[in-house]
Amino acid sequence: MSQFLNLLVAGLTSGAIYGIFGACLAVWFRVCNVLNLAVGDFAMFGAIGTAWLVQNAGLPFIAGIVVDLAGVGLAAWLFDWVVLHQAFDRGRGARGIVGVFFYTFGLSLVLEGVARAWFGTDVWGAPSIWPGPALSVLDFHVQRAGILVIAVAIVSGLALWAYLRFTVSGRAASACGESTFGSRIVGIDNAKFRRWIFIGTAVLAALFGIVESPLSGFTYLSGPTISLIGTIAAGFASFRRPGRAVAIGLAIGVVESMLGGYVSSSYNDVLLYALLFGIIIFRPEVLGLGAEPA
Amino acid sequence: MTESAAAKSGTLSGPSPGATEGPAAVPRVRRRDPVPLGAGICIAAVGSVVLAAMNGSYLGLTVTTGIGYAIVTVGMVLQLGYSRQLAFSQSVFMGLGAYGVGVLETKYGFSSLESLLAVIGLAAVAALLIGAVVTRAPGLALALATLLLPLFIYQLATYSNWLGSFSGINGVLPLLTGPDYTATLVESGIACAVLLGIAAAIVLRVIRSGVGLQLMAMAEDERLGESLGISLRQRRLEVFVLGSVLAAVGGAVIASVQGIVTPDVLSETAEITLLLMVFVSGRKSIAGVILGAIVIEYLTTSTSFISTNIGTIEGIALLVILIAEPDGVAGAVDRLLGRRTDQWGSALRSWGTAQLETRGIGSRGGGNGAGNAA
Repeated sequence: MSQFLNLLVAGLTSGAIYGIFGACLAVWFRVCNVLNLAVGDFAMFGAIGTAWLVQNAGLPFIAGIVVDLAGVGLAAWLFDWVVLHQAFDRGRGARGIVGVFFYTFGLSLVLEGVARAWFGTDVWGAPSIWPGPALSVLDFHVQRAGILVIAVAIVSGLALWAYLRFTVSGRAASACGESTFGSRIVGIDNAKFRRWIFIGTAVLAALFGIVESPLSGFTYLSGPTISLIGTIAAGFASFRRPGRAVAIGLAIGVVESMLGGYVSSSYNDVLLYALLFGIIIFRPEVLGLGAEPA
Repeated sequence: MTESAAAKSGTLSGPSPGATEGPAAVPRVRRRDPVPLGAGICIAAVGSVVLAAMNGSYLGLTVTTGIGYAIVTVGMVLQLGYSRQLAFSQSVFMGLGAYGVGVLETKYGFSSLESLLAVIGLAAVAALLIGAVVTRAPGLALALATLLLPLFIYQLATYSNWLGSFSGINGVLPLLTGPDYTATLVESGIACAVLLGIAAAIVLRVIRSGVGLQLMAMAEDERLGESLGISLRQRRLEVFVLGSVLAAVGGAVIASVQGIVTPDVLSETAEITLLLMVFVSGRKSIAGVILGAIVIEYLTTSTSFISTNIGTIEGIALLVILIAEPDGVAGAVDRLLGRRTDQWGSALRSWGTAQLETRGIGSRGGGNGAGNAA
């Protein structure tokens, strides 16, 4: 029983990571129909940037977090102004499925390159927000950072879900994704929603990276894997439902952990990816994207 | 519309009256189209001459590896450029080709030609089986499903002792073996150039046929394609199989040039490199992606500064291309050349008009109007 509980908590912790990035992807996709494949790189900058500011620049921990999040927000704003504004507001550049993937893919490559040049190839971890030994009840152990990760994921997922569901601003944001032209006709500023939600999700991802980094550590290459799993979680939530993305992410984490604990600790990722692949292929309707006629 | 009428009109043919199912009949091209064969021969000849001139140098090795990647990217022109089929499975099939020749040659004693032919057959069957399943998924789901493929195939390769785990398989044979290292490299390079020429000719043949028009119609609007009677799923599958087989051939070529196969060939990084080779150089241009593959392969191995910062450079290049010229460098060159030829044409017309005017038969030169009529 204790093994099951430990696996469950470990799964929920890693699942919370997948879920929150899935939620970040889903909420922005809902606004502008573009996948943010750089979300993992923003998390990486959050974790490594804060660690660097504290360890190398000598800033206090809180100041390091503030400076780092401000830097990530600025980078996101700059990308929106230089690239997304040109592509979507001025009608230049690639559209369609190429635009869905490759603008933020380019950003991801640039962020990785900058991180490598700036921070090197070492493993970095920000100081723990809630320091101390793991909490234990009998044979059941849980890291404090793990509890924070799960809590932040659930609160963020619920907040994003409530924002889209219950606020006028959230409904306007959703309308942008449904019809750019139609939302403009009724006076919604698409560019503003795209920009601020992009910046907001980038800062949220960076904050999550800071919270999570004491558990696993980050290198400049950590971003793409996180983005990829986040994309899968968002995909199972139709790319549009952040609350559901968090739930799916948690489920993916738990399945991965159970496979590792009860089936094979070496092949758990392989089995998980194969399972997800099979679901997408044989039941594409679960993605909510609509299968085409054969 | 009958098939012959469609062929005469040179348009996409719709289904014949009464035929409500099945793919649209593809108009048969009556005259022989010399362009694909000519282009293939040119590519093979130029590649052979260049590699012979490099005479087995390190640059020659880099260019030959680039040719291996170019075979993969030529297939991606059809998949990504013309059909807009966003599948992230090329690195998997490249790995299939590379590991296929590695296993067959080192464990079962196949020759390089036998292993290449076996890999082509194997890749075709695998692509048909995988494609029959993955092409059922709509655009975004196809991208998502194939995004997962490299992840678990890469991990399988790294865990498999039979495939050499992280070290991979050493001792893959070159395509052709000469009397010494230099001759082997040159002869193998020429064989690679010939394979690239064949790949380009096949892809160009498809693009310039009725099937190519159907693929363009599908890429533009799938409902339009369906309304023309095109079987979307069948065409998607055909494109997937052809692109995958070419990826496997490219992988086999790369393995034979380098003499070793490692799991890196299956990784996300390999997939990213392929996508950049296609997007930056121009996803609709065969010449563009061939040059792009060779240049990017050269840049990644040329200087330590570039190889260290290749991610940043590629990312910035990708963003600039997507914003400024979505058809890549080749699109920009096409546009510039088109503008230049337009200028030449305009200058020629002005000169011709001036000549006619001096002879009194121009459009504004009076006369009897015969010039205008002509």
